[in-house]
Amino acid sequence: MAEKNSKYLSYMREERLPHIFCPGCSNGSVMSAFLEAMEKAEMDFDNIAMVSGIGCSSRIPGYIKCDSLHTTHGRALTFATGLKIANKGLDVVVFSGDGDAASIGGNHLIHAARRNLDLTVICINNNIYGMTGGQVSPTSPKGIVATTAPYGNYDTPFNLAEVVAAAGASYSARWTITEMENLVLSIKAALKTPGFSFVEVVSLCPTYFGRKNKLRTPTAMAAVMRANTVFKSAADRMSEKELKDKIVVGEFANKHRDELSDVLEKFSVENSGDKTVVNSAYETEF
Amino acid sequence: MIIIDEDLCKGCHLCLFMCYKNVYAISSEINKKGVQLPFVKFEERCTKCGTCEIACPDQAIVVDLPENWWMKDDNDINFNPNFTKGKK
Repeated sequence: MAEKNSKYLSYMREERLPHIFCPGCSNGSVMSAFLEAMEKAEMDFDNIAMVSGIGCSSRIPGYIKCDSLHTTHGRALTFATGLKIANKGLDVVVFSGDGDAASIGGNHLIHAARRNLDLTVICINNNIYGMTGGQVSPTSPKGIVATTAPYGNYDTPFNLAEVVAAAGASYSARWTITEMENLVLSIKAALKTPGFSFVEVVSLCPTYFGRKNKLRTPTAMAAVMRANTVFKSAADRMSEKELKDKIVVGEFANKHRDELSDVLEKFSVENSGDKTVVNSAYETEF
Repeated sequence: MIIIDEDLCKGCHLCLFMCYKNVYAISSEINKKGVQLPFVKFEERCTKCGTCEIACPDQAIVVDLPENWWMKDDNDINFNPNFTKGKK
């Protein structure tokens, strides 16, 4: 009897499996969730281009059989902007980690959201720099122990989904890895939304986050994460004190705004009467 | 019908946590990779929601309805449908 494989393996480069991620790392789950959401949204798999920066989560496009760009640290969104402007028909999906999107590429994230380009950004936020050995990242919660914070982290973390929503993105949501059904539906909505859509996935890093914070097994981390999760509708009615150390999940923005490539097209039709403003030395007619 | 791929499973046991109906259990034996594989102990509880299939970080779990499972590729008619690869 032939071995029956998972339906996600047909989208993946099977010769590279099992992948490099640690046992319990959520990157594989997010990859499955994305493929499931892509199937649910009835996207064309050949039309998808994936862009990623540097980090554990940025290795995901290397395991998927589609066109991908593996770019410099923090600059995934800039490369994706160029790709989307050059070829408007592509469905560009950016996979990035929290170090990639929030710390070194923080301004790129804010300005991509401000311009509202038609991208789907999936930010896998594991609260720590996992690839380099567990340093404190801008999204590390207050009080955690890390390699560079042996007495506990004293900084207030970034609230990425709210930052992107405030910067003007069309869609912004945060889910944890334990709300798998909501995450799939959210990625599906993000893929279908025209405009900048951002899904932050709070994920597990048992190797560097859990080991230093007395949560050695992935199951213990996931149980603590599920216990600390508050939905946005409930969080609106809670006080600041009750919301301490809680992860607020839900949709933070879902609105319609003009998208950058449409605005550019409109601009060039108004100014030159053509869809693309061509100003090239190789072009003979102007 | 739930199949767990022994070659892909890394033993994080997130399937035990994510399953709403507690279908899985951990086997006592350790395989050649040093992993205590999960196995399907209470298959009659399974509602085929597919959450463990998505939540598995290593794409090792396949949840399939019986008709899809043996109607599609009938290479072997003598196989046991209750056989699970991870079961010891």
